Amino acid sequence: MNKTVNINLANILFHIDESAFNKMRLYLESVKRSFANTPGSDEILADIEARIAELFHEKLANERQVITEKEVDEVITIMGQPEDYMVDEDIFEDEPKSTRTEDRRRAKKLYRDTEMKYVAGVSSGLAHYIGISPLWVRILWIILTLGSGGGFILLYGLLWILIPEAATTSQKLDMRGEDINISNIERTVKEGFDDVAEKIKSVDYEGVGNKVKNGGKTFFDTLGDIIMFFFKVFGKFIGIILVIVGATAIIGMFVGMLTVGTLDWIHLPGLNGMMNNITEAPVWLLSLLFFFAFGIPFFFLLYLGLKILVNNLKSIGNIAKFSLLGLWLISIITLIILGVREVASHAFSGSVTTENPLQMEKLNDTLNIQLVASEFYEDNNNMRMNNMVVVYDDDGTPTLQSEDVRFNIKKSNDTLGRISIRKEANGSSHEQARSTAEKISYEYSQSGSTLNFNNFLTTADKSTFNEQEVRVNIYLPVGQLMKYTATNRRDWTVRAETDRATRGLDGYLWKMGEDGVLRCQECPEEELDEEDDDTNHIRINEEGIDIDIQDEGESFKMKIGEDGIDIKANDEKNGGDNVDIKINESGVKVKTNDSL
Amino acid sequence: MQTIISNTAKKTRHKKQKEVMNVENTKAQMRKGVLEYCILSILNGHDKYASEILSTLKDAKMLVVEGTIYPLLTRLKNAGLLNYRWEESTSGPPRKYYTLTETGKLFLKELDTTWDELRSATNLVTKNK
Repeated sequence: MNKTVNINLANILFHIDESAFNKMRLYLESVKRSFANTPGSDEILADIEARIAELFHEKLANERQVITEKEVDEVITIMGQPEDYMVDEDIFEDEPKSTRTEDRRRAKKLYRDTEMKYVAGVSSGLAHYIGISPLWVRILWIILTLGSGGGFILLYGLLWILIPEAATTSQKLDMRGEDINISNIERTVKEGFDDVAEKIKSVDYEGVGNKVKNGGKTFFDTLGDIIMFFFKVFGKFIGIILVIVGATAIIGMFVGMLTVGTLDWIHLPGLNGMMNNITEAPVWLLSLLFFFAFGIPFFFLLYLGLKILVNNLKSIGNIAKFSLLGLWLISIITLIILGVREVASHAFSGSVTTENPLQMEKLNDTLNIQLVASEFYEDNNNMRMNNMVVVYDDDGTPTLQSEDVRFNIKKSNDTLGRISIRKEANGSSHEQARSTAEKISYEYSQSGSTLNFNNFLTTADKSTFNEQEVRVNIYLPVGQLMKYTATNRRDWTVRAETDRATRGLDGYLWKMGEDGVLRCQECPEEELDEEDDDTNHIRINEEGIDIDIQDEGESFKMKIGEDGIDIKANDEKNGGDNVDIKINESGVKVKTNDSL
Repeated sequence: MQTIISNTAKKTRHKKQKEVMNVENTKAQMRKGVLEYCILSILNGHDKYASEILSTLKDAKMLVVEGTIYPLLTRLKNAGLLNYRWEESTSGPPRKYYTLTETGKLFLKELDTTWDELRSATNLVTKNK
């Protein structure tokens, strides 16, 4: 079963089936192209169409019959190939000069030159198109291919598919055509302008000639011509941009896919473990999906760009288009499903808490808290994923390490200290999250009055990353003295309420107060005094906020407390500008003093 | 007015310079060169439409494919050697009947003379080979 199309050839209606129609259309288009620059080409084409109509008419027994590819082929055999239509330039040298030059100025077209090919003639075709030696194009290909890790081979393949081969003589001539150089481009642009200018003139003339309707139509035609001209010029630029964007994106993604994909193929355990997660989709499949999901739109962008730049580009065909579209949709949908599952696998959180009493030999002893940092974490050779690293012990068994350990120092409700360790993890269900949390191993040790804590947690490689974290709560009885030291220079997250704003707890002796606030012992008193001076400070406490900053004649003071808000800014250096804002029970007062 | 014959010769020389001599090409060019003369001759005295011209040419093996003739007819018409009129046809589309103009007739006469000269010259040259 075939779809038929109705066509009008020389005012006669024909039923033609679709494939035959496409063939006929392509034939007429190429015929038209072959004498596009000959004067009276429309008339020639009309004559040809009339003849074809006549031939069809002779071939069909009755009007109900449909023209098939067979008839079209026969007609083409009778009429000849497009290049047979071409009037040989050299034979007709008595032609006016202008038409001759016009004939010569045949627009160059991009074809693959299979006569000078190494692989498929893409390079030599491009070389003809740009007007340079194919050698340079090939060298460039090789450099780019090596440089991009093979990504350009993909591009070569695309061009191979898209650029038609120069099969006939006329195509070979078109391929070599006129070199595209500055003077040619200039001339083309200038001609375009002249053409447009001429059209505008003719509009004015017709406008005077009272033919309002006619003139109006011509005016819009001219407007169309002008717009078309600018579209042509800018279209090329857009085309170039599209090609560059599309090609770079595809190559970039291709290289990315290969890199990530091969990482999986050589089985890097850590990466495997962490990326698989619950979805269990292998990395190469994921990267392939990503490549399709993002690469296919860019491929169409590239195709569009090439289509704009090269007008004789082969169509990739509907089957290819739709299968690419289908592939794209499948990739997108699969990625969404995987994404949803991935999110779902983290949806629930579960935790396991263990509590141990803190036993001190003597109550008056100072508790020493020592934090030990991971040796591996700083090693950059480890694979890093989120804040987890893969670490291999001496046996070569991989474990996952995370620095997601936080400490809270709080007041104990009784006279005994306690240490509670809460292990947390996410999972697709509470149970799963709990079991993942249980697999977290986190240890601390006590020797005498010294507590040693790690700042990292470890978990087996199989657990995969699932937001594992450890919260250590240290409950100290009132009156307990404590001190802490940290090895290495890493940041710790230790939270405790203290009676002063210091940079950290490091180095000082602290005492747990009745109100759960750690009070600094032995802290230099001068520092406290100093803070009351007028020197720079930012203090935030129960009285409110007190900011006082002075810097070479510029000063900024802000006090927010029970009395309200008072902001004073002073810039003596730049001429003594003053701003004073007061907000209290009596209202809002703004005082500015601009000496300039 | 330049004659077609000299152009054919030129073409051949041109081809030689290129070092590409293809028998098929040369044959096609020779035919194309005298094609205009043939068309004008066919139309001499009888108005004909494209298919008739074509069948005559094809019978004489002057033409292999039909496509070649259409640009030629338009060229001759644009040069003022031919004119045409439309005539309805009982079967198929309306037909374009070509007719020779006065200029065309003069042109043809000139070509006739040249052709005779050329033929005798060619005969002479090829016989003495």
